[in-house]
Amino acid sequence: MALLEVENLTTTFRIGVGRVQAVRGISFHVDEGEFLGIVGESGSGKSVTMLSVMNLLPDYATIKADAIRFNGVEMTKLRGKELRAMHGKEISMIFQDPMTSLNPLFTVEQQLIEPLKIHLGMKKAEARAKALELLRQVEIPAPEERLKQYPHELSGGMRQRVMIAMAVACNPKMIIADEPTTALDVTIQAQILELLEGLKRNSGASVVMITHDLGVIASMCSRIIVMYGGTICEEGSARDIFYAPRHPYTWGLLNSVPKISTGEHKKLVPIPGTPPDMLKPPAGCPFAPRCRYCMRVCTTVAPPLLQCGEGHRAACHLMHPNAPKIQREDA
Amino acid sequence: MTDQTKPILSVRDLHTWFSVDAKEVFAKRALLKAVDGVSFDIKRGETFGLVGESGCGKTTVGRTVVRLYRPHSGQIFFDGVDISKLEGRALMTYRRRMQMIFQDPYASLDPRMTVEDIIAEPLKLQGVKKLERRLRVRELIGRVGLKADHLNRYPHEFSGGQRQRIGIARALATKPDFIVCDEPISALDVSIQAQVINMLEEMQEEMGIAFLFISHDLSMVSHISHRVGVMYLGHLVEMADMRELYEHHLHPYTTALMSAVPIADPDKAAATKRIVLQGDVPTPINPPSGCPFRTRCSHCTERCASEMPKMKEVSPGHFLACHVMENA
Repeated sequence: MALLEVENLTTTFRIGVGRVQAVRGISFHVDEGEFLGIVGESGSGKSVTMLSVMNLLPDYATIKADAIRFNGVEMTKLRGKELRAMHGKEISMIFQDPMTSLNPLFTVEQQLIEPLKIHLGMKKAEARAKALELLRQVEIPAPEERLKQYPHELSGGMRQRVMIAMAVACNPKMIIADEPTTALDVTIQAQILELLEGLKRNSGASVVMITHDLGVIASMCSRIIVMYGGTICEEGSARDIFYAPRHPYTWGLLNSVPKISTGEHKKLVPIPGTPPDMLKPPAGCPFAPRCRYCMRVCTTVAPPLLQCGEGHRAACHLMHPNAPKIQREDA
Repeated sequence: MTDQTKPILSVRDLHTWFSVDAKEVFAKRALLKAVDGVSFDIKRGETFGLVGESGCGKTTVGRTVVRLYRPHSGQIFFDGVDISKLEGRALMTYRRRMQMIFQDPYASLDPRMTVEDIIAEPLKLQGVKKLERRLRVRELIGRVGLKADHLNRYPHEFSGGQRQRIGIARALATKPDFIVCDEPISALDVSIQAQVINMLEEMQEEMGIAFLFISHDLSMVSHISHRVGVMYLGHLVEMADMRELYEHHLHPYTTALMSAVPIADPDKAAATKRIVLQGDVPTPINPPSGCPFRTRCSHCTERCASEMPKMKEVSPGHFLACHVMENA
């Protein structure tokens, strides 16, 4: 069953020189208890999409959607207090940089017990005991001492563990992890990914992981959404995306990463050009200017997301029955 | 004529120490041994990859070998000459032959200089005449895939990938024999990373430049490098040809690092078991006794705590510093 349903979401930012069309009419869902990955390059709209769902964007952003239903509740109608009651309790978020997302002026304990007091109405002593338990749950050594420390006294990996402890504090139904390991070293990243997997198994919450790292996505997510230029270009199971991708952008992404496992040297196949300027996104397919298979129709008409398998959709004119039959060239 | 078989860069027992502020007011200043006894060679036209986590000293190695830092002790032989103690004019003549590409393409280009001035600056410092500079800059900008009409613009008008190309053009300006690439692609998007990596490979094939490629991204390092050194807390712990290192890595840290790299292939990812190291990297101000890795190592023995393992050649070209695995 779908826990979150988003229909036709459009998010724009008004800035001095015009409107940045960060997200351009996307629809997707998050199933209950699934591990969904949203992958894309910087500026593809992947973070803005989830921040729009959470309504966490600044005033100069305009969020429009036909529907954003979370667990049956229409989120677009919620205001102030109702929204805050949901944040941290029903949906929580783990941010990329734990140094800027933790408050430097408060101790770990103060930050950890805040959601417990607000959402669960715990008294201070009870909340403190729970905070200690949470730190143990995220495998922080010497949790009693950590509670009294400030964020700057912790290492990057520790800070991210505290963020995760805060995110799972109220047993949310959905956790959004926005590039949770990008700022960390690989061995620490491995620790955090292991931890997230364990927490997900035990709590049954849905996790939406936003990342640009295809490796992280491949090892963690069961379903994947590929975003480009503010639109969804492909969506499917991890197997669909990695073994039977249909969109030339997905092909390009997969060909750009080196394959450490093969051991032999193959030249990388980069995607030429640069991502589109979202102030003036291309009229047709956003990927058309960089696509080697670009046809005339691609520059004028945006391709719709078409079904190409069970739960597998791609937005590409090449899928039209009359289009030339092009197979992915193996890199 | 120089001997082509001799290494372009030869580093012997390099130590770079920094003095850092002590925690307490009247305490003595502490010594941070960022690089503590590192030796390696880089052949002409070869790419030597240096991997490790943040704080392991890989960037310090890169900056010391081009003498942006003064080493505490040890020798740096560049084309047979020890440059570790050279200063001023004597160093300048070698600077022309070694260049650097930095991680952050936003911080490493002067925002108040035009692209032309940026690329021409190293030439100017070498006393190249104005007309010649103009010609050379125009040749370089084409080489890195930008246009001549980009030359009058300023860095902020370019994307991250384009800025990194400008940085590469600047590094190539003096026709160096050796370039230190310090995390040149970490700040770039996946599709742009591949563009820059391919460009570096092409430049190497054409001009025979040797690279010291520093990165925390083991998959990129293994893609571009001929040989790889793995660093941990100021020490090289293992060094071998890329293939050899991939297939027969021995050091427990290399093994953990290899297994921690996420593989962009769901089946392979499911089949490989991540080796999760416990804890964080210890501080280099107060490193553990003996083997630096012993606090996180699952093979640790008593000997590891008392005696620092030395680099030994376990098979031709494969060096290892580990008491336990060298006999395995």
